[in-house]
Amino acid sequence: MANIKLRGVNKQFGDVKVIKDVSLTVEDNEFVVFVGPSGCGKSTLLRLIAGLEELTTGEIHIDNARIDHLAPAARGLAMVFQSYALYPHFTVGQNMGYALRVAKESKASIEKKVRAAAEILQLTDYLDRKPKALSGGQRQRVAIGRAIVRNPKVFLFDEPLSNLDAKLRVAMRIELTKLHRTLNATMIYVTHDQIEAMTMADKIVVLRDGVVEQIGAPLDLYNAPNNRFVAGFIGSPAMNFFAGQVAAFSEGSVEVELADGANITFPCQGSGLLVGDPVEFGVRPEHFSIGQGVDGTLNGDVYAVERLGGETYLYLTSGSQKEIVVHVSGDHQVAVGDRVEIGFSISQSHLFGPDGQSVSARNG
Amino acid sequence: MEKKRNAGFETWLMHIFLGGSALVVLYPIFMMVMSGFKTNAEIFGTPFALPKSLNFDNYAVIWNTTDVPRYLLNSTIVTAISVAVLLITGTMAAYAISRYKFRGSIMVSLFFLAGLMLPLRLAIIPLFVQLKAMGLVDNLLGLIFIYTAMSLPSTVFILTGFLRALPSELEDSARVDGASELRIMVQIMVPLITPAMVIAGIYNAVPIWNDFFFPLIFIQTPENKTLAQGLTSFFGEYSVNFGVLYAGLTLAALPVVAVFIIQSKRFIAGMTAGAIK
Amino acid sequence: MDDADYARAKRRRARNLKLWLAFLLAPPAAILIVFVFLPMASAVLYSLYEWDGLVRKEFIGLENFADILLNPNKNTLLFNAFWNNVKVFFSLMIVQNGIALVLALLLARNPRGYRFYQVVFFVPVILSTVIIGFQWKMFLNPVFGLVNKALHYVGLSDWALPWLGLPETALPSMLLVNSWHWFGFPTLVFLAAIHRIPKDFIEAARLDGASEWRIAREIIWPLMAPAVTIIVVLTFIGSFNWFEIPYIMNGLEGSPQGSTDMLGLLFYRTAFGSVSAGGSDFGSGSALAVLMFIFIFVFSIIATKYLTSREVEMS
Repeated sequence: MANIKLRGVNKQFGDVKVIKDVSLTVEDNEFVVFVGPSGCGKSTLLRLIAGLEELTTGEIHIDNARIDHLAPAARGLAMVFQSYALYPHFTVGQNMGYALRVAKESKASIEKKVRAAAEILQLTDYLDRKPKALSGGQRQRVAIGRAIVRNPKVFLFDEPLSNLDAKLRVAMRIELTKLHRTLNATMIYVTHDQIEAMTMADKIVVLRDGVVEQIGAPLDLYNAPNNRFVAGFIGSPAMNFFAGQVAAFSEGSVEVELADGANITFPCQGSGLLVGDPVEFGVRPEHFSIGQGVDGTLNGDVYAVERLGGETYLYLTSGSQKEIVVHVSGDHQVAVGDRVEIGFSISQSHLFGPDGQSVSARNG
Repeated sequence: MEKKRNAGFETWLMHIFLGGSALVVLYPIFMMVMSGFKTNAEIFGTPFALPKSLNFDNYAVIWNTTDVPRYLLNSTIVTAISVAVLLITGTMAAYAISRYKFRGSIMVSLFFLAGLMLPLRLAIIPLFVQLKAMGLVDNLLGLIFIYTAMSLPSTVFILTGFLRALPSELEDSARVDGASELRIMVQIMVPLITPAMVIAGIYNAVPIWNDFFFPLIFIQTPENKTLAQGLTSFFGEYSVNFGVLYAGLTLAALPVVAVFIIQSKRFIAGMTAGAIK
Repeated sequence: MDDADYARAKRRRARNLKLWLAFLLAPPAAILIVFVFLPMASAVLYSLYEWDGLVRKEFIGLENFADILLNPNKNTLLFNAFWNNVKVFFSLMIVQNGIALVLALLLARNPRGYRFYQVVFFVPVILSTVIIGFQWKMFLNPVFGLVNKALHYVGLSDWALPWLGLPETALPSMLLVNSWHWFGFPTLVFLAAIHRIPKDFIEAARLDGASEWRIAREIIWPLMAPAVTIIVVLTFIGSFNWFEIPYIMNGLEGSPQGSTDMLGLLFYRTAFGSVSAGGSDFGSGSALAVLMFIFIFVFSIIATKYLTSREVEMS
């Protein structure tokens, strides 16, 4: 239905720059998630698109028409808020129909559209209730219904699931993805939860301090993070990082000496690294195996084990490394205090230069 | 055992003190009401006895031969209009201060709060000169303006607190829904602070209804007098007829007490609103 | 549309918002300026002029102030009235607010009849001072009043006095009437403050075996300090603006023998004229108003500062 383009978007509150030169494109029918730690500017970016904040500089286009000078309602989008923002003194039906009422649509047409949306969201029985009389999940659905009724070009979601309990959150995640398919609409979704991002997004935009760190499909970010921040943010438990320094170069590869003495040869071309540069070597917990590895082996002392039957989490320390998290499938009879060897393969590990950028982002 | 008996004694003492205080409040009021049904002879002869019958003669005198009904009407007009104007303008100011960020917003809110510190009675002379020039002396409209102005700071103060507490996502949501700023204010936000408006209304309505000082200075003609002020001339006229005087006091007290009994919770919350944070 | 058009569209939205804010703020601001700020400022100006009735004559600087403060004919009246206001403040602090504190502490224990007492104690507060003033003036009537009749009935005829007619008893009688009128207000303010103290504090002290008296003194009293601050300041302002009760019960002259004269009465007499003060004098009246305002304002600020400094944060 609609694509969205942001060009050189900047936003300043007083002297504080919260959004720094953001440019990105959201394709038609795409489900895009803005993710990042709190204070990274993701909600501000969404509010800029909605028109609830004014741009300092830059442009926003929807369907190739510039809209950043328009009032929110004129932009043809709908927004679902974190607190749902249901009008407490209106019934569910009045809440859902309010935008149409403001737009002076006929009563019959409002009624019809509200009923249709209520049908989709199984809210038909609740149309005459006040929001106070609904459960958290139902309120959430009313908020979504309010957006659907307007038949917008773009749906904006601002952390809509963070007020729900864990079980409901999983259910709503699936429901929202389904809704995206049914409605065939462009959606932008803001969350701090990388699992929501990974499970729902067609495309993820990772933000930090108002800057876009990386844009890509969920698994691209997982397999080939551009930099140390994205590598650490995407994936749970987070990637393990090992400090080291560049020891030597050879044809198409760099030799790295880790702080605890191990040597790794990492393929790379024209990395711009120099001998002696501090680097970080990263391996995800689930990419370690117990025992000797294909391309290298580290070891550590177990200080905690979580055996869940189907999978096992090990927490190790070794010399310079305070914590190494290892996630393996199946049950492993490891005890606290044991010394274990953990192996890794170069194809599933990452190397980051002194500037935090990945030395060789490549597909796994 | 020792302790228990002690506690019992304390409770006893507490009830005596509380009950005694309630009696000290209620008995004089009771006597005032009862004496209103008595003739002068009864009042002087058997002052503490109940009236011989529920005799409304004194009330008939008040209703038929005095200006008290007129005073009641004037007080009602002045209080109702003042409170209405007050709530409308007070809500407007409080809404602008609490819901928008604009340059000078702190100055504006200080401006309204400064009014809390200014005892307008002490400016009665210039106010008199000014109202005289505006043709508002001996005019209910003059009182309405004074009461509205005098009560605006506290109203703005009370309403600002409540309006600030409303979530801004409601406003954002209405904005995305296409509502104009006026519509957001009137249809979405203000309905949510009606309890606060009731509190602010009572907080100011009671002193306005009871005020005596400003009418004393600004109102001269009997047709324009308010109740509290009118009572003084009524007392001059009937100074020897105690029965009629008691009946007049009872009648004057009746409207406020009646509303208070029905809405005591709101009254107490409203009247103490300025003193309880 | 080019860039300038977009910029113009944005400016138009910003301007509409400013107009909307102006629309919201202008009417209330105008009312406040015309009927509060302007008169308050004029009062200062007026006090610097000589007046002839409603007509402003020449600028005379601080002469009006000098006159009321230094002229022996006038300043004895001023100091007498001021001293009476001081008496009013301290008496009300002890009697009215003291009773209120005791009642609040008792009500805080949630006795049977809690709601009833709350409502009853508040009835005099909502009544007009005029009604209460007249009611008690009649009760205190030396011949026909219920107070003296009651004293006769219980055989204390000797105690029956013309309460409002004697310089020794007039002011104390009025202070009792005022306390009767207002005690419910501090009671409920104190009570609300006590209710805001977390129950845990009091229960913990009770478990520690503290007596009720100790709990009241060492836990409740310090934690209700903000309410005490407000009541002290309100009582102060009320005492030095005291007007209605003395005016209604004993008239404009503060009779008998000036024993119930107050700054408020003196101000009224000076400004608008009376039998004793002669014609109205807007200049001296304004000067007196300015002095009263400065005194009340400065002392309220000092009292608030001092009292707030002994408040403790509870969180």
